[in-house]
Amino acid sequence: MSPEHDSDRADLGHPDPEFDPHALNQEDFLNEVHSFEFWFQAVEGYLRDRPYGHAEGEQSSPVGVADLGQSEKDSLITTLCNYCVGETAALEGASGMIAIAPNRHSKIFLATQVADEARHLEVFLHRLRDLGIANPEAEIERRANPTLLVFKRRLLELVRSGDWSAALLAQNVILESMEHSAFMVHAATADPVTAEILDGVMKDERRHLGFGENDLGRLLADHPGNRARLAGIRGELDGLVLAVFSRAADDLATDRSMRADMGREYLETMDRLGLV
Amino acid sequence: MNNQASTDPITQAVTTEEPRRTFELEDRGFREVPKKWRKFYRHWEGEDDWLGPNEIICPVCKVVIRSKRELRVGDRLYCMPCMSRMVVVEAQDGSLATEVIY
Repeated sequence: MSPEHDSDRADLGHPDPEFDPHALNQEDFLNEVHSFEFWFQAVEGYLRDRPYGHAEGEQSSPVGVADLGQSEKDSLITTLCNYCVGETAALEGASGMIAIAPNRHSKIFLATQVADEARHLEVFLHRLRDLGIANPEAEIERRANPTLLVFKRRLLELVRSGDWSAALLAQNVILESMEHSAFMVHAATADPVTAEILDGVMKDERRHLGFGENDLGRLLADHPGNRARLAGIRGELDGLVLAVFSRAADDLATDRSMRADMGREYLETMDRLGLV
Repeated sequence: MNNQASTDPITQAVTTEEPRRTFELEDRGFREVPKKWRKFYRHWEGEDDWLGPNEIICPVCKVVIRSKRELRVGDRLYCMPCMSRMVVVEAQDGSLATEVIY
């Protein structure tokens, strides 16, 4: 790491010690948080010295793998394969959305999201190799949850159709909520390396799902007539979401209270957006 | 956190009779935003954690949002980690809560 990384030179400069982010006007706030510079300084804070999502010292010896029983290891491989399906969907979805985003801020934000999703895919593929999977692509094809594949296909149809609000709902609200919830529940019981990887991924997901909810919320506030149509799309995708949650919970052997936690965030988001 | 005089420019809330307490924020190890803003946020640390009078949980991403000033109904806050804007409201049980503003 070069010395310049330790300086404050690039820290979105507010030399005034009285500076308070809560005092920004909305436009300045949105300019700031959608910027590439904000993203860069945020991820540098928690990913520096964590190649493949975990601390360097743990890289050459995949801590935790030797301690896993065969059944536990097999479940983890299945779960990681499905994370790869979800992250591939998010990568393809977010990259396709750049072309249909209605303004430059959204395009720039989505470009940072594409980088995040590519990193997620890479770290999960790397973790699969840690677990002894020589050909992760073949393993993903073998273990992919068919319902998740249906969701991915539908998401990409919405993106290709050029329907910004529907794509935003499916990608940045529904898919991101599903992923964040699954990662949160999994991280609570995962081996240390997988938990550290998931922790870093969840920090990224906060931005993605926040962008989705807030951008869609503003859109619905400006065009309330869209609400019924989007609620219909939500209804169409709900069955897939529930099936994906259920299968993920089975793979993770989660107890009843944790299963409830997995769906709660998604339902709360839909409630706030009025998509009920 | 130490009380100190401050001119926190947070949006003025409904006036109440009691003067607001002010707080000196320290970095609590939050790394998800650029350095200058890190002290305004922290992670919730579980069952044994508690919120100070200048803190509230973001309803979207569950990060703890912090202000230099005691929070009151009507204050507007930003959650930079998830890009949400919200207003402080009174919950049914009388405690402070937040509503997202789109």
